Amino acid sequence: MRKPFAENFIKLAVRDKKIIFLTGDLGFNAFEQLRETINTRFINAGVAEHNMASVAAGFAQAGYKPWIYSIAPFVTIKILEELRNDICIHNRNVKIVGLGGGFDYGLAGPTHHILQDVSLMLSLPNMTIIAPGFVDDIAPVIKQADKLISPVYIRLTKGQETNFKVPIFKPIRKLIDGKKKTVVVFGSIIIETLQAILKNKRMRDDFDVWLVCQFPINIPPELIRSIRNTGNLIIVEEHQKSGSLGSALKDTVIDNKISLKSFHHLCVTGYKSNKYGSRQFHLKENQLDSDSIYLTLKKD
Amino acid sequence: MNLRKSLRRKIVQVAFNTQSSYSHIGSCLSCIDILIEIYFHQMKKNDQFILSKGHASLALYVILNYQKKISDDMLNTYLKENTLLGIHPTSNMPKHIPLATGSLGHGLSFSAGLAMGYKMKYKKNAQNVYCMMSDGECNEGAVWEAALFSARHKLDNIIAIIDKNRIQAFDYIHSALGDAASSEKWRSFGFDVTECDGHDLKDLNIALSKAKKSHKDKPHLIIANTVRGKGINSIENDIKSNYVVIDEKLLNESLIDIEKI
Repeated sequence: MRKPFAENFIKLAVRDKKIIFLTGDLGFNAFEQLRETINTRFINAGVAEHNMASVAAGFAQAGYKPWIYSIAPFVTIKILEELRNDICIHNRNVKIVGLGGGFDYGLAGPTHHILQDVSLMLSLPNMTIIAPGFVDDIAPVIKQADKLISPVYIRLTKGQETNFKVPIFKPIRKLIDGKKKTVVVFGSIIIETLQAILKNKRMRDDFDVWLVCQFPINIPPELIRSIRNTGNLIIVEEHQKSGSLGSALKDTVIDNKISLKSFHHLCVTGYKSNKYGSRQFHLKENQLDSDSIYLTLKKD
Repeated sequence: MNLRKSLRRKIVQVAFNTQSSYSHIGSCLSCIDILIEIYFHQMKKNDQFILSKGHASLALYVILNYQKKISDDMLNTYLKENTLLGIHPTSNMPKHIPLATGSLGHGLSFSAGLAMGYKMKYKKNAQNVYCMMSDGECNEGAVWEAALFSARHKLDNIIAIIDKNRIQAFDYIHSALGDAASSEKWRSFGFDVTECDGHDLKDLNIALSKAKKSHKDKPHLIIANTVRGKGINSIENDIKSNYVVIDEKLLNESLIDIEKI
């Protein structure tokens, strides 16, 4: 989604002269036009992400609206302390854009994947996390992030085409109405989940499908009712088990004293073979590809 | 009034009141003269000061107390339960302390963003950003990222100061990673560097005034050679100076020593 991000971000940066864009030496073949358009407000901060985050905090203190950008692990796990001390403790208006959440960087290997970013970022004070599900979400996500006068982490993933008619972006939205099982998905793995659900037309009406794109979240009463009524909950996320959607929903189930007939949490469980591969390879190893999701959905 | 003496007396008196071993007295006494020069002779309205070596917070608190930005009552709460004044400055006084420090290596990067923002906004009338680091702090990699950034963007409104007392938390600097606060290193990173005696207000004044006037297009660094624990004979130049509790005996000795500086 980096090209749609660049195209949409230009519009914001042209309109608002307080926007500063700092990149950790990333953006080849995507940000050239942005650099030419906003000129001195585009800063290549070099391969120096710790400095980039604290410089952004300084810009915010001077009254600007800085956005920092790099590959997702380099603006999350690598610089967690700068984010906490210099940005979040002060509730500064800095946006953090991480490209390639989950296994997006495939063959680049585990150093370039991020499987715990939501958990890490959610542990920081004042931080909001937004993970677009679809390419069409990009424009509203940029708008939403800009509207918040506080730190926001955007988990940008690869945009995948879909024939599914996407409803307008909301932090939580219902995608499909169904009666038998409640399926709640975080971020762009909604594409694989929809592929699985739409494999079998007869199955489609069984699933009440929800997409979560923002944390922290207030679980809407309608979703709580859905979980209570179906008694079957399936969670899908391209993230490690703890600290993200699974944890939030388990809290909800306990807080609302809901008893479940079945529960499945499809999440990242690790590098099983210790081998390199595409995102699809890693999803398959973690039973997160559409075929594996389909098999879980079919279970009683 | 001799501020060098009176603010030192204040530091040891406040530390005595807390009976805490966390006041970092040695570091406070090594940088207090630099703070006096910066706050009372160098800073203009809207200039900013960032205490990157946050463990010397008590030195900053007594300066702000002298300026009546921290009341006597508030200063008396230092390190007591429910206080706003902790071992390291946090985000609860954003007007006077813009950055929560304590973890070393953050201040120069933050100062660079602030200084660049001011330059974008006010062009040639951009205010100065003073940033005080310790020599031990220059072990941190982020300091050098910040140095590269500041030089690349010609942030000549940054006045960085290193309180070079040659001692860090558990060792003398040469036993840890060596002298990361050397003129050669900082010059090679593109800074305009001046060395001075960090306890001589006249020398500090000359160094800071000269830095602001010369080498436009370069960030400035003052390497202020200091003595940890300066003013209390029994702890000067000693690693323990940052860990001592000021008891009654040491308080009385200190007050006598301070009169002689």
